[in-house]
Amino acid sequence: MSHPRLVSGSRPRASGPVRAATVITILAVAGLIGYPVARLIPSAHFGAALSAPGVGLAAWHTVALAAVVTVVAVPVGAAMALAVRRPDLPLRRTLSVAMVVPLVFPQFVLGYSWTQAYGKAGFTDTFLGLHWQGLLGPAGIAVVLIINAAPLCYLLTAAGLATRAQPDLEHAARVSGASPATVLATVTLPLLRPALGAAAVLTFVATLESFAVPQMLGAPAGFSTITTRIYADLALGSDPATFDEAVALALGLVLLAAVLLIPADLILAPRLRSERTGQSSSAGGRAPRTARSMFIAAGMWLYLALGVGLPTLALIAASITRAIGLKPTPSNWTLDNFSALATPASAQQLAHSLELAVAAAFILVVLGAIVALLARTVHGRALLGLTTLSLVVPGSTLAVGLLLAYGRWLDGTLTLILLAYLAKLWALASRPISGAVDRLPPAEVHAARTSGAGPLAALRTVVVPALAPAVAGAWLLVFLTALHEVTISSLLYSTHSETVAVALLNSQELGDIGQTAALSVSLTALVLLAALPMAALLRMAVRRRGIALPDVSELPREVSVAR
Amino acid sequence: MKVALARRLVGVLLLSALVATGCSSNASSSSSSRLTLYTCATDKIEQAAISAFSKANPGAKVDVYRAATGQLNSRVAADVRGGGIKADVIWACDPLTMHNYDAQGLLTNWAPPSTSTIDTAYRTPHFTGVDLLYLVAVTHQGVPAPQSWNDLTGPTYHGGVALPSPTFAASALGMLGYFATATDYGLNYFTRLKANGAKRLNSPDDTLAGVAQGTYKAGFALANAAYAAIHKGSPVTVTWPKPGAIAIYAPIGVTAKKSLSPIAREFADFIASPAGQAVIAKNGAYAAMSGVAGPPKPAGSPVASPDWSTLFGQSKTLLAHFGSIFPS
Repeated sequence: MSHPRLVSGSRPRASGPVRAATVITILAVAGLIGYPVARLIPSAHFGAALSAPGVGLAAWHTVALAAVVTVVAVPVGAAMALAVRRPDLPLRRTLSVAMVVPLVFPQFVLGYSWTQAYGKAGFTDTFLGLHWQGLLGPAGIAVVLIINAAPLCYLLTAAGLATRAQPDLEHAARVSGASPATVLATVTLPLLRPALGAAAVLTFVATLESFAVPQMLGAPAGFSTITTRIYADLALGSDPATFDEAVALALGLVLLAAVLLIPADLILAPRLRSERTGQSSSAGGRAPRTARSMFIAAGMWLYLALGVGLPTLALIAASITRAIGLKPTPSNWTLDNFSALATPASAQQLAHSLELAVAAAFILVVLGAIVALLARTVHGRALLGLTTLSLVVPGSTLAVGLLLAYGRWLDGTLTLILLAYLAKLWALASRPISGAVDRLPPAEVHAARTSGAGPLAALRTVVVPALAPAVAGAWLLVFLTALHEVTISSLLYSTHSETVAVALLNSQELGDIGQTAALSVSLTALVLLAALPMAALLRMAVRRRGIALPDVSELPREVSVAR
Repeated sequence: MKVALARRLVGVLLLSALVATGCSSNASSSSSSRLTLYTCATDKIEQAAISAFSKANPGAKVDVYRAATGQLNSRVAADVRGGGIKADVIWACDPLTMHNYDAQGLLTNWAPPSTSTIDTAYRTPHFTGVDLLYLVAVTHQGVPAPQSWNDLTGPTYHGGVALPSPTFAASALGMLGYFATATDYGLNYFTRLKANGAKRLNSPDDTLAGVAQGTYKAGFALANAAYAAIHKGSPVTVTWPKPGAIAIYAPIGVTAKKSLSPIAREFADFIASPAGQAVIAKNGAYAAMSGVAGPPKPAGSPVASPDWSTLFGQSKTLLAHFGSIFPS
């Protein structure tokens, strides 16, 4: 078994911890992903699924959408992260928090709120007589998915900056006469390559798998993707042949992702690495505000206002309006939609969702870190690739795989839902952390080891401090995603393991927009309420361990919250 | 550090153990008064029905798995591939889904109690309709109401008709099946709708919302949802166009599970009995038994039923036709 030189230092043989980590990872990948997916394969009827009319077009739509969203969302997220790094940016602390807020919106809520804001008979149409015709179609889907993905790219870039920003190098380049653009192109961006690579992979994969937005905005335009076709097949899946086609399409989507991702991973990953020479001192501090920074801040606020602010307002308006189709004026306001949400089961559903999200986040940062540390070898890369592919397996299909694999013992338990979350969301932890590991300074690990530090001591003094921001970002990503996960838990729950997803789907099916909006608003508020203390706790935990992060003053304070 | 790391690991393990054991289910209990229900009936109706049943049968415990048809199908498929159906009773939302379960041998003989007067049109040897959905026409306030379904292909509604998708909602599949075989309609009806600028949305609730907001002038929606929206103040009008609102029945059936719960038949009997039907009607759905007062249904409203027995074998062909008219 090959081993990462990172932890093993200069010794030729894999050390005990490395071997143990490798074994644990292989077992976990096999148990969480391999076996459940293998149980599905006998069900897949590839012939019928792939020859059905329109599947090729849907596959093309899926890939094109993922490419467009990645190409736009990554630069947008990265630009925002670089912008909040400017010490002269007005309100930069607030901005750095505001940029992450869209992460708390489940996709269908974001899609729905956009229709309420910019669609025909929506907010802008009612008050300004303007609506966006293209919202219901590919353009609308792409824009909403970009708004949805940008915070993730922002978070990963910010974590990348926190881990490996080298103000000394940037400073040196500046005093040597390089323009800011040259510094960005020749120093900052190359140093960020691993983080940007991670963001691109996650965005691409998450878009391949996205369902709610394409379904909601694509139907009126007749725009289908692989995931919307899977949903249609499952709706008619009481016929076993149709169900088998859905399984085949789901596995086909995974194959598609594998074909696109694995070569990219194997070929590009080593090139994306950029080694940091060592810790650097900071050159931050406050600077006087310039017109340029005011302009950048204004642009960011405008982006947030149009992308998230106005849609959120429209959503809130829908949640307090008495009936669909009435104007959201005070005479039509009511809190009935909110009071209808409080059922005896609500508190327990919420507790289950929180429990699952916290457990998944803690377990996955450990599993994610292990995979990321192993990923410097080809075998490790393959494991990282596998965890990424599991993100593409549609939730409904993965849930059926887990039911087949472990339902006999775990059906109806929260444990089964947790296992599904671990399988599905692993990449949300392993990719960000891997993006940070790629630039760990091996020389420092080596130095620690030759100075007599054991593998664990080297891990603690060199590896953990460098990885902390990425680990915190990964924790937050997993936590938030698990908290508003709908598909998996709505398939695996039982009377004793209901999650908020169950209430969410109930209200959606009732077709009452006001109630769905009220639930979305409540859920978003709850996620925000839950995320803030979590972030604070995380910061305290990291601090207590005495982890000193490099370049602290270069960081916006709120990104350091995520430490 | 070793200690700290170990402590953290123990913490994670404890948390996992807590999740695994503290909240594990005892749904597989084989106690004689316990049954498992799979349903896609709305939460409100299913909960009210279960609570009424439990009241009438003290000690009875119903474990319910409730989800939309797609998830229900996945769950049943997982059961079938993993050792057999786990539900004792299935209460589906449309006859086609139930027919497909039946065709796989998942259901057993069961008929409603003699007190039940549910129409034979809603019965097969293995399942019986217990509540009804009516697909009606809704129009935005001020838009003229269509007298017949054909009117929706006319100039009054040009560019402003919304219909639900048969690949998304079972009621829309019923709509497709009905028009495909109805005199004066046929699949050509959908071609004419398309030519008139009609849009395919997902669920009938989406069309109702679109019409209420004024995005569309008219659409196909479910009667009980439309009346509920009007009751709250939504600016829509409901019409039961000729030849009739399309009736889709939601059937219940007892499964062929090996160790069937002894109260499975009692539960299905109860839902199909006058008492169970009254609970359904009181909670906002149309009961399948005639004469049970439920949501509004104007006197003399015409009702049309798809020929379900023909549809049972043809849904795939019809969907393919529909897909060529309204591409997905």
